[in-house]
Amino acid sequence: MSTFVIGYYALLIGASCLAAYFNKRNIFILVFSLTMISFITGIIGGAPALRFITTAAGMLALAAGTSYAFREFLIIITPEGVSKELRTAPLTAAFGMFVIFTYALAGVFAPVIAPFGEAEVISSAFAPPDETMLLGADQLGRDMFSRIIYGARNSVGLALLATMLAFIMGALAGLLAATKGGWFDQFAGRLADVIMSVPSLIFALLMLSIFGTNLAVIVIVVAVIYSPRVFRLTRAVAGNVVVMDYIEAAKLRGEGTWYLIRREILPNSTAPLIAEFGLEFCFVFLLIAGLSFLGLGIQPPTADWGSMVRENATLISFGEMTPLIPAAAIALLTVAVNFVVDWMLFRSSGLKEV
Amino acid sequence: MVPKRDVLLRISDLRIEGYSDEKWVEIVRGVDLTLHKGEVLGLIGESGAGKSTIGLAAMGFARDGCRISGGSIEFDGMELTTTPESDLRALRGSRIAYVAQSAAASFNPAHRIIDQHTEAPIQYRIQKRVEAQEDAMQLYERLRLPNPGEIGFRYPHQVSGGQLQRAMTAMAMACRPDLIIFDEPTTALDVTTQIEVLAAIRDIVDQFNTAAIYITHDLAVVAQMADTIKVLLKGEEVEEAPTEEMLDSPKEDYTKSLWAVRSFQRPQKHRPKEADAIPIVSVQGIDAAYGKTKVLDDVSFDIYPGMTVAVVGESGSGKSTTARCITGLLPPTKGQILFKGEPLPPRYQDRSKDQLRQAQMIYQMADTALNPKIRISEIIGRPAQFYGGLHGAKLKNRVDELLDLIELEPSKFYNRYPPELSGGQKQRVGIARALAADPSFIICDEVTSALDQLVAEGILKLLDRLQQEFNLAYMFITHDLATVRSIADEVVVMQRGKVVEQGPKDEMFTPPHHPYTDLLLSSVPEMDPNWLTTLLEERGTDAIGEAADV
Repeated sequence: MSTFVIGYYALLIGASCLAAYFNKRNIFILVFSLTMISFITGIIGGAPALRFITTAAGMLALAAGTSYAFREFLIIITPEGVSKELRTAPLTAAFGMFVIFTYALAGVFAPVIAPFGEAEVISSAFAPPDETMLLGADQLGRDMFSRIIYGARNSVGLALLATMLAFIMGALAGLLAATKGGWFDQFAGRLADVIMSVPSLIFALLMLSIFGTNLAVIVIVVAVIYSPRVFRLTRAVAGNVVVMDYIEAAKLRGEGTWYLIRREILPNSTAPLIAEFGLEFCFVFLLIAGLSFLGLGIQPPTADWGSMVRENATLISFGEMTPLIPAAAIALLTVAVNFVVDWMLFRSSGLKEV
Repeated sequence: MVPKRDVLLRISDLRIEGYSDEKWVEIVRGVDLTLHKGEVLGLIGESGAGKSTIGLAAMGFARDGCRISGGSIEFDGMELTTTPESDLRALRGSRIAYVAQSAAASFNPAHRIIDQHTEAPIQYRIQKRVEAQEDAMQLYERLRLPNPGEIGFRYPHQVSGGQLQRAMTAMAMACRPDLIIFDEPTTALDVTTQIEVLAAIRDIVDQFNTAAIYITHDLAVVAQMADTIKVLLKGEEVEEAPTEEMLDSPKEDYTKSLWAVRSFQRPQKHRPKEADAIPIVSVQGIDAAYGKTKVLDDVSFDIYPGMTVAVVGESGSGKSTTARCITGLLPPTKGQILFKGEPLPPRYQDRSKDQLRQAQMIYQMADTALNPKIRISEIIGRPAQFYGGLHGAKLKNRVDELLDLIELEPSKFYNRYPPELSGGQKQRVGIARALAADPSFIICDEVTSALDQLVAEGILKLLDRLQQEFNLAYMFITHDLATVRSIADEVVVMQRGKVVEQGPKDEMFTPPHHPYTDLLLSSVPEMDPNWLTTLLEERGTDAIGEAADV
């Protein structure tokens, strides 16, 4: 039995004894069940299995610690009102915010962070990682790490742009439809039905084949595809607001539609809209990644996570994990955004008021 | 008085905590209560006094976000605070029943009334389905519901509010419980409907010798129902005494203030004598309809400057619709509305800014009438900015001035949001918003009916003071005749979209009346504990079921 295994069990048992002594029931249950599981995995898998558990637990603890520290940091630097809200954020949400923050940093300072250009060929194809290339080279010998960093800028930036456009179109139409009603409501509603009745990926492929695949077209097509969902949500939320007496009071005051929308309705519908923004962002991001994977999205040599997965896909058969890295980047961002959105949904649904 | 009987429910030193702002706050602080078999106890107090919380605790139940933190609840020898949830559930519905304030919201709209009625007896295996249905029909008959054999097979939306409330009482009786908790069962009903429900509840409680806790904020109602009255304030008991003793000689100051609250009355004003006086608003023969349903039929009345015209009637009589016609939200199909002698465009969109400014409105529900996401300063300041073009320091001065007028301290309330205010404060802000436009005519749509009596009195006094200060004309929509008595100069009585009687207040409150006015007036509960009995004798028992259909 190696010293590692002895130390491992000694630590766990010591921790559970301490927890039991200080009457921390939850911690004790957690630590002691981990000890029991370790016994079984230790017998089956030996020391490597225990090492794996240690690494995983360490990673988890590191993530939790980072999230906690990041949340405290945000609470300190933000003004009074925001920090009060942040205090209610669970660790998952803090983790999500930290990941988004990291991605944003990578995207904004891509040229500073990345050691090489995104289209720069520096090595042979599929070269393994070394000191200069952290993650090895791709199918043309470009630095994988640099391309991931640039990909954050391209993929995320594009998705953000498309989501924002979808929101501006959808929310504006939804608010107008709820306030005005009548023929505009009918027209916008039916138009949304038509767009939603066509499967989004097929619709995007069709539009991109017709109009070509430049960035502006991608953004507009994706925005058009996703705006009906925003329209429906906004119209439903605003529909509940426009029947309130304060809207009637504002109308009787003689206020114009724009004032009604901006000052009276919008402040009362922001919470679900922000939550929806996070969700839509994930869908848009995945759609763009999917389009790139199919070769109709962002065009080479621009680095993009979706197309990077496709270009390196052949490596999978050699047991290499290179194509999984951009895929993991996509997955991590989606999970992170959803963590944050979950928290916001929880807040806006009023569940916090026990 | 109540003879000595077995104790059914004994609550001692009950403490209940509610969770708010991330800490537990005590909302019921050590209340004792003893209820004998067959006794009716009235719990009375303002909102937030903990009445409903205590009522639910009598079933061993605490709402979400509340917990029973101390004391004991002993029901027929059983300690409810320590009884497991499964046993409590068996108790609820079978031995303790609950009648909620809004029957319309408490019935499941997707099931027939009788199916919901028979659910508990069948579940507890007290009766078979057929027996339970027959029993239900008998109960419906006892509660004088029309067509007792058939009414249960309707869906909740197919019967009227008063009938539904009686059906709910019948449902509570289904298992012949020992204790029923009535949580404001008539608060949402019109006075005329209220009587039938009160009579029905009293009858059935007497017949089955059921004990009851009757929760209400209306003293006159509780005087009819209860043997004993307990007054609560902020989760603590103020005093408890047998009904007659309590009404005749209340001991505590708070109780006396509750009793005295309806005493506010201002001198009545009369129309100007001159023949050429122009009414500020003149409604002339208007008809109105929602789709094809006609809701107003030839409504006419005048409102003179500086006077208060009360429009009274049951719900559905067209009071609020008249207001919607005057504001231009619902263009009348016939007739016209003159404002200071000039015809008003029927649609508000076609009216000039000045016409809109002069007629303002105060709403019933201050919660929905104030935008929760806008600061008080902007809510009040916006009309001043919109109509008067005020900006910067001038606007701030105007808002401060208005806040002073409604007796809210400017420095404290300037930057607050509506959800941070109490009900009465919100209603005051609603008044300030109307005043900010500098109007000459204000429609008050049931402005006090959602408020506690003491708060409502404060609002009425404020409205009266403002009227004298600014020579405002009010159209006061209400179903509460006590309010009419205290503030109105003239009264318009409406029924089914028609004006049945109108005239100065003193004439309206002295006989002879139109039969409908008479019904309305006589249906207002009085403090006399024998009022209901006397009234029912006068009207004859059979008249009760038809009272609502007059």
